Amino acid sequence: MDKEQTAAKPKLKLAVYWGAACGGCCVSVLDTHEKLLDIVAAADPVFWPIAMDIKYKDVENMPDKSIDLTLFNGAIRNSENLHMAKVLRNKTKILVAYGACAYMGGIPGLANFSDKEAIFRRVYDESESTNNPEKIHPQREVKVKEGTIEMPQFFNDVYTLNHVVDVDYFIPGCPPQSERLVEVFSAIVTGAQLPPPGSVVGANDKTNCDECKRKKTDNKLVKKFFRPWEIQDDKETCFLEQGVICMGPATRSGCGVRCVVGNSPCRGCYGPPPGVTDPGAKMMSAIGTMIDANKPEEIDEIIETIVDPAGLFYRFSLPGSILGRKVQ
Amino acid sequence: MEEPRIGVYICWCGTNIAKMVDVEAVASEVSSMPHVVLAKNYKYMCSDPGQELIIKDIKVHNLNRVIVAACSPRIHELTFRTACEKAGINPYLFEMANIREQDSWVHTDRSEATKKAIDLVIAAIRRVRFHEALEKRSVSVNPATLVIGGGIAGMTASLEIAASGKQVYLVEKADHLGGMVAQLDLTFPHLSSAQQIIHPLIQRVKNNPNIKVFLNTQIQQVHGYIGNFNTTILQNGNESVEIEFGNIIAAVGLKPFDPVVIPEYGYKKIPDVVTSVEFEQMLLSGLIQTSEGKDPRNVAIIHCVGSRNKKFHEYCSRVCCMTALKYVHQIRAALPDANIFEVYADMRAYGKGHEEFYAHTTHKQIIFLMFDQQTGLPRIRKAGAADKCNIIIEMDELLSGISIEVPVDMVVLMTNMEAHDDVKEVVRSIGVSLCGNQFFIEKHPKLDPVATTTGGVYIVGGCQGPKDIPDSVSQARAAAARILATIAQESVPVEVTTAQVNELLCCGCQTCVRVCPYSAVSYDESKKSSVVNEVLCKGCGTCGAACPAGAIKCKHFTDSQILAEIEGIMSLSYKY
Ligand SMILES: Cc1cc2nc3c(=O)[nH]c(=O)nc-3n(C[C@H](O)[C@H](O)[C@H](O)COP(=O)(O)OP(=O)(O)OC[C@H]3O[C@@H](n4cnc5c(N)ncnc54)[C@H](O)[C@@H]3O)c2cc1C
Ligand code: SF4
Ligand code: SF4
Ligand code: SF4
Ligand code: SF4
Ligand code: SF4
Repeated sequence: MDKEQTAAKPKLKLAVYWGAACGGCCVSVLDTHEKLLDIVAAADPVFWPIAMDIKYKDVENMPDKSIDLTLFNGAIRNSENLHMAKVLRNKTKILVAYGACAYMGGIPGLANFSDKEAIFRRVYDESESTNNPEKIHPQREVKVKEGTIEMPQFFNDVYTLNHVVDVDYFIPGCPPQSERLVEVFSAIVTGAQLPPPGSVVGANDKTNCDECKRKKTDNKLVKKFFRPWEIQDDKETCFLEQGVICMGPATRSGCGVRCVVGNSPCRGCYGPPPGVTDPGAKMMSAIGTMIDANKPEEIDEIIETIVDPAGLFYRFSLPGSILGRKVQ
Repeated sequence: MEEPRIGVYICWCGTNIAKMVDVEAVASEVSSMPHVVLAKNYKYMCSDPGQELIIKDIKVHNLNRVIVAACSPRIHELTFRTACEKAGINPYLFEMANIREQDSWVHTDRSEATKKAIDLVIAAIRRVRFHEALEKRSVSVNPATLVIGGGIAGMTASLEIAASGKQVYLVEKADHLGGMVAQLDLTFPHLSSAQQIIHPLIQRVKNNPNIKVFLNTQIQQVHGYIGNFNTTILQNGNESVEIEFGNIIAAVGLKPFDPVVIPEYGYKKIPDVVTSVEFEQMLLSGLIQTSEGKDPRNVAIIHCVGSRNKKFHEYCSRVCCMTALKYVHQIRAALPDANIFEVYADMRAYGKGHEEFYAHTTHKQIIFLMFDQQTGLPRIRKAGAADKCNIIIEMDELLSGISIEVPVDMVVLMTNMEAHDDVKEVVRSIGVSLCGNQFFIEKHPKLDPVATTTGGVYIVGGCQGPKDIPDSVSQARAAAARILATIAQESVPVEVTTAQVNELLCCGCQTCVRVCPYSAVSYDESKKSSVVNEVLCKGCGTCGAACPAGAIKCKHFTDSQILAEIEGIMSLSYKY
């Protein structure tokens, strides 16, 4: 970033917020290393729960559109996430869904394969480490000496940020590659021409195989699917051709194929390429063409070797996909 | 995209639709949908006034999208597309909703059927918004034709095409022309000479300057597409010749089934048990004699050998019943005193003059014995020294219900006709498919029986399914007519709704390459992208469904079109 240029401009007001998130996205902002100093030089963080102590009230009292850029990470899991999404939408000029959870639902979104009741039963009644003979479940309101405490409402479904408010840009990744954030941030700071609102930024159009250095051919016939640890990876051949499901061909590039570079198949955290609404469905139909069988029973047997297909194909994308959730 | 202006037409189909679907309600329900300019109902949309209605509305109301909710698009899509074209809008901006076969005909509750019709029309309205104008394409046609197989079917087709001055390459695997007919003596039902049918044909083929015959020749992989094929043929197994041609006729016929696999019949173990093809040789030589050189006094003819039985072939060979009756006449003429036994399972006399031939044959003093083809095959054994015959047939006779022994001196096995051993290589080299019985599959069993799903490739004669000479010849002439028509056009239309790879999105995973049933997709190493050969592409959509990167667009079946249609039918809306 060109310091002379940015110094001349008034500093941007920046917010970073987490909804239903693991914290990894916030860490990825810190992971910009020495570039963080450039970011801080160009922008004043006005709200960032992981790094500074500011109350929701303070944010609610800010004038509308007074924040230039909000990086909203995490999915919408409860009424608190929803409330802050709406508040930040009103206060922010450029609202970015930052990371796989805000963009597509991410790992928390896998809860859409279950529902609120089943989750509460498991967590508060049945888990091996739970001792809750009175079966006490979270309450919306708790009366204490000092008054009534309100708890956020746990929704039945996990939503993406875009499901609940209008989003200007999406930066994919679990978490986004820090270099990509720096690029996008620089573009905003320097006032470069931004793509039309609604675009995915900080990623490319082609999918991961394009950048992947592994050898790939059209011979993707599979008699049995393996989990990564079940094969002796030759470190050279496309994972799919070794029978290991790699989401690379259905996943937008931008991360530098970092998992495959580390000899692990891509799990799809960068989400679908442009024009694709449901990467899980795309990948399943691609996998369908790879099954090397002639008889229906043989096909069934081979499919049986795919462990947890729902979690595999929709690992990061369930709430944002056409599927959305398990049908109830 | 221009603002869609949609005209919707709900057809009554007389009472076919109107009695089960409230067509007026459907029209009024959808008339207020966004982009719908008008919604009308009419008695017969496919009639001339129905089409005129569309044409007039397109002009008057400036429509740029048209929907007809009527019968199956298989029946009238083309009719309405043509009407749209006449009115000056691209035919692919039309969409049809099937409210007859998929609705009025299959439901009994009028209000439910009406609701379903509304859903189907809403789906079409949502879809048609995303339709794009597509341009017709055509390719030029090389006027030469490759005919594979020099039997009666292949030769007939060759002569027909050559007669119009066009080049024919006739490739025959054997060292002579004529196929099965050249091995026959007389033919049913008129008992005319097969040799007199086939020899003049062979001469005409040999003498025709437009027909180049390659004997002892097998074809290699054929490359290209309708109008523009080429291949290298290996003559006498070594000399290679390059040929180019625009159309292909496969006429490789069938071969006789080998009955050694039926233990009951003792073929090749018991002397004087012969196949029909061997018996034809005997007839051609003019002498019906046992292996000992004697006149047989008793002759049995066993039907359905290897046919109509799950253990061998489930299908009927169609010509053997009549051939067996033909033998009755020939044996009776040669051996007036012989006893002739027709050992049959069912008598199939389906063709022109065949039933009369059957009736006529029954007056030839013969004995009909019936067996159960599934459970009661006759058992043939060599007679003992004391018996006054060579062979004994044991059988459970079905009509009398008793088990009998038939003493005979000769048995003729009416063998099934089955595919050649190399048929799989033949179909692979010309890009067509085989059915479960290993017969070549036609494009449509009723409406297009000599074409295949591969443009420019036709199938005639026995290889399409067992048949007699008249049927083989009819097919040959039909295919020749089809080919001459495309040659006369000089160009042929090719599929419009093809697949296209967006090179900016293709990641080079090559998932699509192997899935194409028409070998239309290949990977271009230099572009680092797959490419679709749009002339070969049939628009089946397989590659588009398989591409995980969403890089393949199947024209007229794009994701946005299909999703809009599904959304419409489910009246769902998802955000994205
Ligand atoms: C015993 C018997 C009696 C019959 N009697 C009558 C009758 O009386 N009346 C009647 O109407 N029908 C009769 N038929 C049926 C008749 O034989 C067929 O209808 C006719 O032969 C079909 O002609 P075709 O050209 O399709 O096939 P075929 O006659 O089988 O000719 C196919 C030709 O293709 C060649 N060929 C095969 N494979 C290849 C290859 N890979 N490359 C190049 N060339 C190849 C073969 O060598 C052959 O020359 C009889 C059939 C049999 C078996
Ligand atoms: S599927 Fe995975 S391993 Fe194979 S080329 Fe694509 S990214 Fe690489
Ligand atoms: S390789 Fe796949 S899972 Fe790994 S970071 Fe990249 S997009 Fe995410
Ligand atoms: S034509 Fe007659 S003998 Fe031949 S298979 Fe059919 S039924 Fe049997
Ligand atoms: S649409 Fe079908 S025929 Fe066309 S290229 Fe794709 S797979 Fe092949
Ligand atoms: S499947 Fe799609 S992304 Fe993969 S090579 Fe084919 S067109 Fe390209």
